[in-house]
Amino acid sequence: MTSQRSNARRAILLAAASLLVLAACGTTKKTADQNLKAVGYGNLPSQSGTPQAGGTITFSQSPGADPNWIFPITPAANSSVYVAYQFQNLMWRPLYWAPKGSSPQIDDALSLAAEPSKSADGKTFTIKLNGQYKWSDGQPVTSADILFFIDIYRAAVKENPSNVGNYTPGQFPDNVTSAVAVDQNTVTLTFDKVYNPEWVFLSEIGQIVPIPSHAWAITKTGGSQVDYTDPANAKAIYDYFVTQSKDLKSYASNPLWQMVDGPFKISSYNANTGAANFTANAAYAGPNKPHIAELDELAYTSTTAEFNDLRSGKLDVGFVDPSDIPQVPALQKQGFNVYGLPDFGFNYIAFNFKDTTGHWSDIVKQLYVRQAIAHLQDEAGVISGLYKGAAFEAYGPVPAQPVSPFAPANAKQNPYPFSIDAAKQLLTSHGWTVNPGGTTTCTSAGSGPSQCGDGIPAGTPLTFNIVYSNSPAVIGQQVNAIQSAAKQVGITINTVPKTFNFIVENYGVPEAPANNNQWAAEDFGGFSEGLYPSTNDLFNTGGSFNQGGYSDPTMDQLISNSINGTDPQAVQKEAAYVTQQLPGIFQPNPDLIWAWKNTISGPPDGFANMTQYVITPEMWFLKQ
Amino acid sequence: MTRYIIRRSLTAIIVLLGISFVTFLLLHFIAPSPGRAALGVRATPAAVHAYNQQHGFLKPFLVQFVDYLNQLLHGNLGFSFVLNQSVTAILGERAPLSAFLSGTSVVLAILVAIPLGIFQAVKRNSVGDNVLTAVSFTLYSTPVFLFGVLLIQIFVFNLNLVDANVPQSQTLLGALADFKDIILPIVALTATNVASYSRYQRSSALDVLAQDYIKVARSKGLSTRLVLMRHLVRNAALPMVTLVGLSIPALLAGNLLIEALFNINGLGLLFVNSLQRQDFQVLLAYTLIGAALTVLGNFIADIALTVADPRIRLV
Repeated sequence: MTSQRSNARRAILLAAASLLVLAACGTTKKTADQNLKAVGYGNLPSQSGTPQAGGTITFSQSPGADPNWIFPITPAANSSVYVAYQFQNLMWRPLYWAPKGSSPQIDDALSLAAEPSKSADGKTFTIKLNGQYKWSDGQPVTSADILFFIDIYRAAVKENPSNVGNYTPGQFPDNVTSAVAVDQNTVTLTFDKVYNPEWVFLSEIGQIVPIPSHAWAITKTGGSQVDYTDPANAKAIYDYFVTQSKDLKSYASNPLWQMVDGPFKISSYNANTGAANFTANAAYAGPNKPHIAELDELAYTSTTAEFNDLRSGKLDVGFVDPSDIPQVPALQKQGFNVYGLPDFGFNYIAFNFKDTTGHWSDIVKQLYVRQAIAHLQDEAGVISGLYKGAAFEAYGPVPAQPVSPFAPANAKQNPYPFSIDAAKQLLTSHGWTVNPGGTTTCTSAGSGPSQCGDGIPAGTPLTFNIVYSNSPAVIGQQVNAIQSAAKQVGITINTVPKTFNFIVENYGVPEAPANNNQWAAEDFGGFSEGLYPSTNDLFNTGGSFNQGGYSDPTMDQLISNSINGTDPQAVQKEAAYVTQQLPGIFQPNPDLIWAWKNTISGPPDGFANMTQYVITPEMWFLKQ
Repeated sequence: MTRYIIRRSLTAIIVLLGISFVTFLLLHFIAPSPGRAALGVRATPAAVHAYNQQHGFLKPFLVQFVDYLNQLLHGNLGFSFVLNQSVTAILGERAPLSAFLSGTSVVLAILVAIPLGIFQAVKRNSVGDNVLTAVSFTLYSTPVFLFGVLLIQIFVFNLNLVDANVPQSQTLLGALADFKDIILPIVALTATNVASYSRYQRSSALDVLAQDYIKVARSKGLSTRLVLMRHLVRNAALPMVTLVGLSIPALLAGNLLIEALFNINGLGLLFVNSLQRQDFQVLLAYTLIGAALTVLGNFIADIALTVADPRIRLV
């Protein structure tokens, strides 16, 4: 599960790094549904005990995480949740912090600024720093540090669009026509047109990480400050910091990286493994001053090696791989707290609407066919059988868990629950002769309400293939489960295992249209979402990662509303429509499970956020 | 000998060029867009295109290959943009520990397997031979990963004698600082090697024992010790020389399962991870060096055979 997400989802939005927000703009503050509670695996204990001053806590990096880019403007090739959330953010705080506990929403208390306000014309957003944060030399974090970040970001993506993981051409910062420091704590950003204010806040402004303009506006070691607003200087600054960030062995010794506004400073770094040690930043001025003196991030080559260290007590805080779930009771008995929740995102089997093999494109465009296939997925069975109970049902792109401000009503009740009979009924009522265990064929061709649909000739068998990622194994197991259920209604599914990279490089309508007829559906895992979970680029016509070539004018409009409209409910409406229309079959989301010794405590949010890959060790303490 | 070395060296260059070309070709077909793998599923097409262009992946295949050869001629193995380090630095960090583990286990295995194999041959079909054969077969058929897990369960969790994982360090000396924690992976690798080497050695010794010169030596009245040491061991060890020569590439290949299990950031793991990430520069360098070591291993084995057996001449 973990690797599934780290593969598929790593891809994804670090935009998550970008936060989420509320509709600060205006009067409607969007928060998670208070009637929903996080339903996690294990137990999230309350804070207990008296904090001990000092001490070291060991924490496990994920195998393959290799945090190897320290400069907070991260190239796409090095961008990951691990680099941002478990490495850089310990030292440099994003302007707006998320999640809030396990919930993917902005945590005002941990942010550097109040939520932005919006101008009357909807184009200008005003950001006010709270004035609380300081750099480690005592200088305050100011509006100049925000503008500095934007200018260096611009220089980076101008040099090469792949220089920043979160960058999408035409979006931030390309769409920022003006960035002005009104005073030391106030910045206004004016965009080129009116966008959905929530999208602007969560996906655009949320990317900002203030960096120290008074110390970093240099182009060589020991050089003097230059005017970073000059694009040529900004490029030189960016290039210099790239060379510094490529010198991994100097991470702990380079004075540049000691200029931080976060609660920790890097004190050692292993270029071979990515293991890192952090010490508390004595000058940290934000909330939650660290209790511990050191955080020791240990690197692992496998989940087995990591779990062995948990069992032996060498590791204080570590993840629990799904393969180790049977050992959780022993771990708890040993004195560990264990808690897990799905991270914010979704797993799904994507349909290919451009595959004409066996009239598949005409078959799959019929909603009733997609609904029938959805009814063949036994989510509860998958969770109990394959995930050993450590997963949560999900029916669309915005799941009910973790609790978020954007879950639509149909995220909470499966619109297409597991039912062989329901699948059979849908097919027979649309002109198919169902032959359980055999081959179901279209016997009533035509476009009438009780006929198979346009382009499906009589005699067409209901058969297609699913290409799936061979790792982790649970992907193939889920595909096999659907294959088995489909046979009961005479649908033949041929399954084809491939590597993750092979699938994403070769089986996607935008990426490799020449291969459209080689796959009818694919399952490579899923996506982690940013704070603003629009499916823009995934399900809109011509979207850059609309693998299946799905096209629906209503969907296009709803997605456009999420980005360009003003409706604060736009994303919920979009997600509800995706859930109902099934451009793919949504699957259960596995829990990301963590274990920590019961000698460690702190506010529950400081542990719940690990389920979203984020760590806040400044909240942890060793009990006296 | 000089002419032989020159000829073998020229052959080696041709072999290495061929291997480089085939590797390059295979990677080209397997990964038509390395940018997609490097940047992730939802990277924009513009970013993927820019990445592929920046790293020369959009050039014609042959141009890319010539560029790579040119880079090699300048002693540059390339830069891994995924790991954010030069390939030379990456190999330099990981090779020493992998080579130490493999080398130590091979040497220990030889030291144990040769006397063991000869003992079994001399005492063939005895109780001792049968017991050792059973142990060898068991070890040989046990996956090294499982054997490692058993060692961890016993020595880490039951007896609490060592750590489950090798110490993390940027240098070999650092990793060896707590030597007891590196014993388990060495034992796991050595045991597997002993199991196979001792079978070869036993078989070879049995063949030699049947030779006339052994019978002659015995009929001359030489002691068993002299017969064994002077006539049997040297001749029976010849196949082992070849076997060990062929083991040299394993010094680089690392031991993926052992590295994963004992938390050793070695070369085996590097190769697999690079394959998954389509980290071309690392894969090419790894394959090239592996091929070079294979050629070198064979060469050393040939030389060693002439030393061990004067009847063999290099031509």
